Amino acid sequence: MSEDYELRTDGGAAPATGEDAASANETEQATSRVPGLGGDEGRIIGLTALAVLLFPFLFAEAPVISDIIQGYAGLTTLILIWGIFAMGYDLLHGFTGLLSFGHAAFWGAGGMAAGLLVEYAGMNLPLVLVVVGTIVGVLLAWLIGFLSLRRGGIYFAILTLAFGQMIYFTIFGPAGPITGGEDGLLLTIGDLFGVIPLNAGVPVLTPLGFIPSWLYLIVGIFVVISVAVAYRVLNSPYGLIFKAIRENEQRAEFVGLNVWRYKLMAFVLSGAFAGFAGALHTIYNGAASASAFYWIVSGDVVIMSILGGVGTLFGAFLGAGVYLYMSNILETFVGTLWHVMLGLLFVVVVWLFPGGIWGGIRALRDLITDLIGGGGSEPEAATDGGEPGARAPADSSSDGGDGQ
Amino acid sequence: MSLVADLISILLNGLQQGAIYILLAVGLSIILGTLEFVNFAHGALYIIGAYVGLYVAQGLVVSEGYLAEAGFSDLGLGMGFIVGMIVVALVVFVLGLLFERFIARAFYDRPDTDQILVTFGLAIIVQEILRVSLGSTSQPVNQPTWASGSVPIPGVAISEWRIYIILITALLVGIVYALVEYTDFGLVVRAGTMDDEMVRLLGIKLSRPYIIVFGIGAALAGVAGLVAGPLSPINPTAGTDILVPAFVTVVIGGVGSIRGAVAAGTILGITQAALIQTQIGTYNLAPWSQVGIYAIAAIILLVRPEGLLGEEVDTA
Repeated sequence: MSEDYELRTDGGAAPATGEDAASANETEQATSRVPGLGGDEGRIIGLTALAVLLFPFLFAEAPVISDIIQGYAGLTTLILIWGIFAMGYDLLHGFTGLLSFGHAAFWGAGGMAAGLLVEYAGMNLPLVLVVVGTIVGVLLAWLIGFLSLRRGGIYFAILTLAFGQMIYFTIFGPAGPITGGEDGLLLTIGDLFGVIPLNAGVPVLTPLGFIPSWLYLIVGIFVVISVAVAYRVLNSPYGLIFKAIRENEQRAEFVGLNVWRYKLMAFVLSGAFAGFAGALHTIYNGAASASAFYWIVSGDVVIMSILGGVGTLFGAFLGAGVYLYMSNILETFVGTLWHVMLGLLFVVVVWLFPGGIWGGIRALRDLITDLIGGGGSEPEAATDGGEPGARAPADSSSDGGDGQ
Repeated sequence: MSLVADLISILLNGLQQGAIYILLAVGLSIILGTLEFVNFAHGALYIIGAYVGLYVAQGLVVSEGYLAEAGFSDLGLGMGFIVGMIVVALVVFVLGLLFERFIARAFYDRPDTDQILVTFGLAIIVQEILRVSLGSTSQPVNQPTWASGSVPIPGVAISEWRIYIILITALLVGIVYALVEYTDFGLVVRAGTMDDEMVRLLGIKLSRPYIIVFGIGAALAGVAGLVAGPLSPINPTAGTDILVPAFVTVVIGGVGSIRGAVAAGTILGITQAALIQTQIGTYNLAPWSQVGIYAIAAIILLVRPEGLLGEEVDTA
């Protein structure tokens, strides 16, 4: 059945090409479930690394393509940073079925913690800032998750929203003298390991059009690590429980799982990614601002993860790419109208294509394999098995959390 | 200023701020309670109400955006606040009906997360269309001339308009409450909330009462946008700013409870006003005012997760 299929493969956010050959293999792995760096995981990581390496070239340097899309290298770093944030968000919403509108708090807190360290402690090592941002994201997510997960569904969304706004106004108002209030903090970020300037090009690779800067290299490595971690978690028995909760929370409860604890862990995990990405964003911008805490920023990451495709790891990067492409490049052609267009695109995706862009790619791939390969039950399962089937149960599960 | 005057001033300012939250929350709450629809576009109706009202009652000065480029820089009918309020109520009521018929209805059977997402998207579209056509500059709104004085209590410096906001809110919420509690229409709506299948089986068509509930909720939001205008200049993002406190009011009042929304709005408004006006030594607590309402909300919800006057209804 399509749901079974869904459970096994949607964690395998394998790139569109060549997954078919491995899908049988993947199924087998899912049933026998041997931990360790199996062929499939190695392939995902390898393809991610390849994509990270080629992305700036295709986006900004390649002869014909980048002339058409008008991309520039600086934007690629930003897309990856937001992509990490969106992917972490999707762990919570796409895989566990919890819609949070408070993730700006973790993103902002990670960024602000890094900013405060630079500003007041003179701590200037980028890698330390990233670690601190992650830890702050974890701690804050633990606290807010602990308080918000008392209720499910819309109450959860409103509670995360309320706590997020509480933190925003704290940073903005009472803490304004420290955090820079409306203006934020302008920072000078130190060199990598104290010797390598982040914005300098990487020898050999940059002149060839790959890897625009050391910062991109670092962020790219973090992307590969993040994808590996997320993939590992989602394909472990632990991550399967997240999906079980999304599919049917009550049933998960009945088999004896402490659903509340798993939901809290999913929340903390996505908070960690948010804080991590927030710190990277501060390093990228050379600034930390209170406005990063505003609830509409949570909305931005929701938009990205949904545009890209709910419940797909790589969709988050696509979604972030589309969003930032519209706000940075399309904006130069159509002005503020880009935001209206984004809103329309978002509404259309929510309404008609709940699988998002990645879901569309999958459906297309299945259509093609169906035409070429002819037969097999898989295509039929995957065309509708994208997201609608996966998202509908969120309804029944959403009120089940009240019991805790 | 004496202590009594301070307390009166906090009470009146608080009630006025609470009134805006109440106007929004009652609409949100009855829609959520009866139709089980989560409307993140409620703030958009508020801001539409504010702009339509400004246009009818007074005038819009457009210095940027597409309308300005097209040569329309001074728009307005200047017909006064009363006419403005009636027009806003009607226009936004009709918008609410259209919204229910063509958008919300398609999402009744879908998860509430989908409802949140699609209405959030619509809120962004409305906000950005306003920004594109009118620009993001704030529009000042004048108090109506008949309410431009200040309250005749010695030591209390509060404009009369704030009192009018409290009165208008009391009147409108009273009418809605009476409609829901004491009329056949309200009976059908309340019965539908409890068991809509049963009501349908009795031969009552629920789609019409439901669409009207939606229209009423929308109209309240629109009026809220108009009456709040003279206190803070309006701009396209005001709708997203007000949405969160409005939802918090609904949730701490108890979903579906009009009395709960009134109680919650009053508590939040007075908390906010008290923090704004309190000074400890030389330190002014005003920066804590927004933090305070969420802190109060969090405390209430930790003690009573179902809200002040909510029952454990299965709305989620």
